[in-house]
Amino acid sequence: MDLDFSAAEQDFRAEVRDWLARHVPDGLPSMDTPEGFEAHRAWEALLASARLSAVSWPEEYGGRNASLIEWLIFEEEYWAAGAPGRVTQNGIFLLAPTLMAYGTEEQRRRWLPGMAKADEVWAQAWSEPEAGSDLAALKSRATRVEGGWRLYGQKTWSSRAAYASHGFGLFRTSEEGRHRGLTYFMLSLDLDEVTVRPIAQLDGLPGFAELFFDGVFVPDSMVLGAPGEGWRIAMATTSSERGLALRSPGRFLATADRLVHLARDAGPELADRAVRCWTDAEAYRLHTFATARRLMSGAEIGSASSMGKVFWSELDLRMHTLAMELLGERAGETPWLDGFLFALAGPIYAGTNEIQRNIIAERVLGLPR
Amino acid sequence: MKFVFTDEQLALAATVRDVLRAHCPPAALRSERRPAWEQLAEIGFFGLLLPPDADGLELRLVDALPALEETGRACLPGPVVETAVAAPYLLDDVAKLASGSVCVSVLLPGQAYAPDADLADLLVVARADGLHLVSRDSVRLTSRPGVDPCRRLFDVSFDDSVLLDRSYVPALRRVTVATAAQLIGVGRQLLAAAVTHAQVRTQFGAAIGSFQAVKHQLADVAIALDFAAPLVHRAALSVDDPVVPTVDRDVSAAKAAAGEAAALAARVALQVHGAIGYTDELDLRFWLARAWSLSAAYGGSAVHRARVRESVIGGDLRRYP
Repeated sequence: MDLDFSAAEQDFRAEVRDWLARHVPDGLPSMDTPEGFEAHRAWEALLASARLSAVSWPEEYGGRNASLIEWLIFEEEYWAAGAPGRVTQNGIFLLAPTLMAYGTEEQRRRWLPGMAKADEVWAQAWSEPEAGSDLAALKSRATRVEGGWRLYGQKTWSSRAAYASHGFGLFRTSEEGRHRGLTYFMLSLDLDEVTVRPIAQLDGLPGFAELFFDGVFVPDSMVLGAPGEGWRIAMATTSSERGLALRSPGRFLATADRLVHLARDAGPELADRAVRCWTDAEAYRLHTFATARRLMSGAEIGSASSMGKVFWSELDLRMHTLAMELLGERAGETPWLDGFLFALAGPIYAGTNEIQRNIIAERVLGLPR
Repeated sequence: MKFVFTDEQLALAATVRDVLRAHCPPAALRSERRPAWEQLAEIGFFGLLLPPDADGLELRLVDALPALEETGRACLPGPVVETAVAAPYLLDDVAKLASGSVCVSVLLPGQAYAPDADLADLLVVARADGLHLVSRDSVRLTSRPGVDPCRRLFDVSFDDSVLLDRSYVPALRRVTVATAAQLIGVGRQLLAAAVTHAQVRTQFGAAIGSFQAVKHQLADVAIALDFAAPLVHRAALSVDDPVVPTVDRDVSAAKAAAGEAAALAARVALQVHGAIGYTDELDLRFWLARAWSLSAAYGGSAVHRARVRESVIGGDLRRYP
């Protein structure tokens, strides 16, 4: 066991730090506004021009073949530099790992390079009005037609969908069982038979949307994996690399450093809470190094990724809650307010923390369902 | 970077686990003060950190960490970390330590009492004028009340001693990290016992482990232990690294997190067991007591939290590597 970065890893860190120091823009407008969305796309294109938007991907798709450890280094530097939020998050960190594992070579060539440059921006389309935590209860369906499928139904809470060009999610293709009848689709949102109704979030901006499908045609080439395999495919990437990729430690380390500065002149009780957060961020970082190394050795982390999700989302919320207490009515003049609102969503999305605790109890500890 | 234990480090732990399963069963906790001691000596446990000329393996603390965690998991009594981890960095003459024939207790700054001092052949006691080596014949011990029947506490006084010309700091850092590793092991066993109970105990016609109110508490224990352990591993690397300047911060972060995680494991394990957990009869009591006694050993969580706070608020936000 060691914690020593190799010379190559240190060189990579230096290169990333240097590039970011020269290119990170001053605060962009929110990505949930039309001009902010385009500004964030332009930033992603600039990142991609330095092959830094998806460093862990193979070179042919726009990456650098970086190891998971190097990816974690990139993330530490990215968030420490105060770089913008990733408008490509859903595509690069949720859809791409699935494409790598289950897509065809043709699909990877078609979609990954554009995802890395933000030519296409992807929204997720999982939840439905009656299928939230119980995702397998979803009712949106796809019916077989010549050369593809027609999609009917409604999705909701689709992050980034207000402005995104494409979406991905599960649709019911047969009635043979809750899980077995589901298929993983990618689709364009810019078609007449798709209606996008933006939904304003707590900050008043449309960070997610409702999607209505009225028989939109999706060709077979946009099906990810085999029909009926959607649930297995979605869950496999949920519990393996996605558990790690969804939230790297970098952003929590950066937040924790800023929180300590904020709490420096507060009393010992508040300072203690800040430093606990700082130590927990360090624990998450170290834990992630171990997880990354196991994944690099070919191991699967499976349901244990749920522990990380609970830990980082509650840490993030604790940090921002404390910042709000420290700042009081001045919070709105700082980035902490937006951060607080964003952190509040953490225990809800990607499977609520109640669901994660059930998964830990049942699949890690072996308690009965 | 390979922040995972090697096969050799895990194999050592597996060997220790096998020895403890055979020679330190729960029944031994009621009848013996130092079960499995000889068998651990036979596999070289007390020489892990010693130099080769003292029949040791000269391992780093991190190499022994999974094995130390096993001693916590088994609730192994006796001054184990004092003899195996602290003594090699305190004594001038370490020749007999590897054989297990010399049992050592310590009373270093930050400790109120010496643990298991009545079993010790040698005591190392810090006084204002330095470190004193005290033999069994010259020591006077006064038993002090404590929570853990298998880790007894003693006030120490003496007239004759030998002054040791060295710092207690390397030993104290290492024994604190070793205790943190034991706390992780204690916590894991408490969690395992609570899970087993929740699987078999039925109420309202169902295993109580099927209820979310129980599940979620146990999940929180699993999370606390899983995220405390890497801080302990980090601290073990720091104490043997000559260039890491945050070693004391790392040690304190590890001890605080491990102590709090083990205390949560104890609290939840007792709650999940209900009244049967609150008895002398159930073996769970030994692990509960060990979680509490080791949480307080070598500085409680509040003391270590305050040290981390002073370091980090004081401006040391550096992360190593």
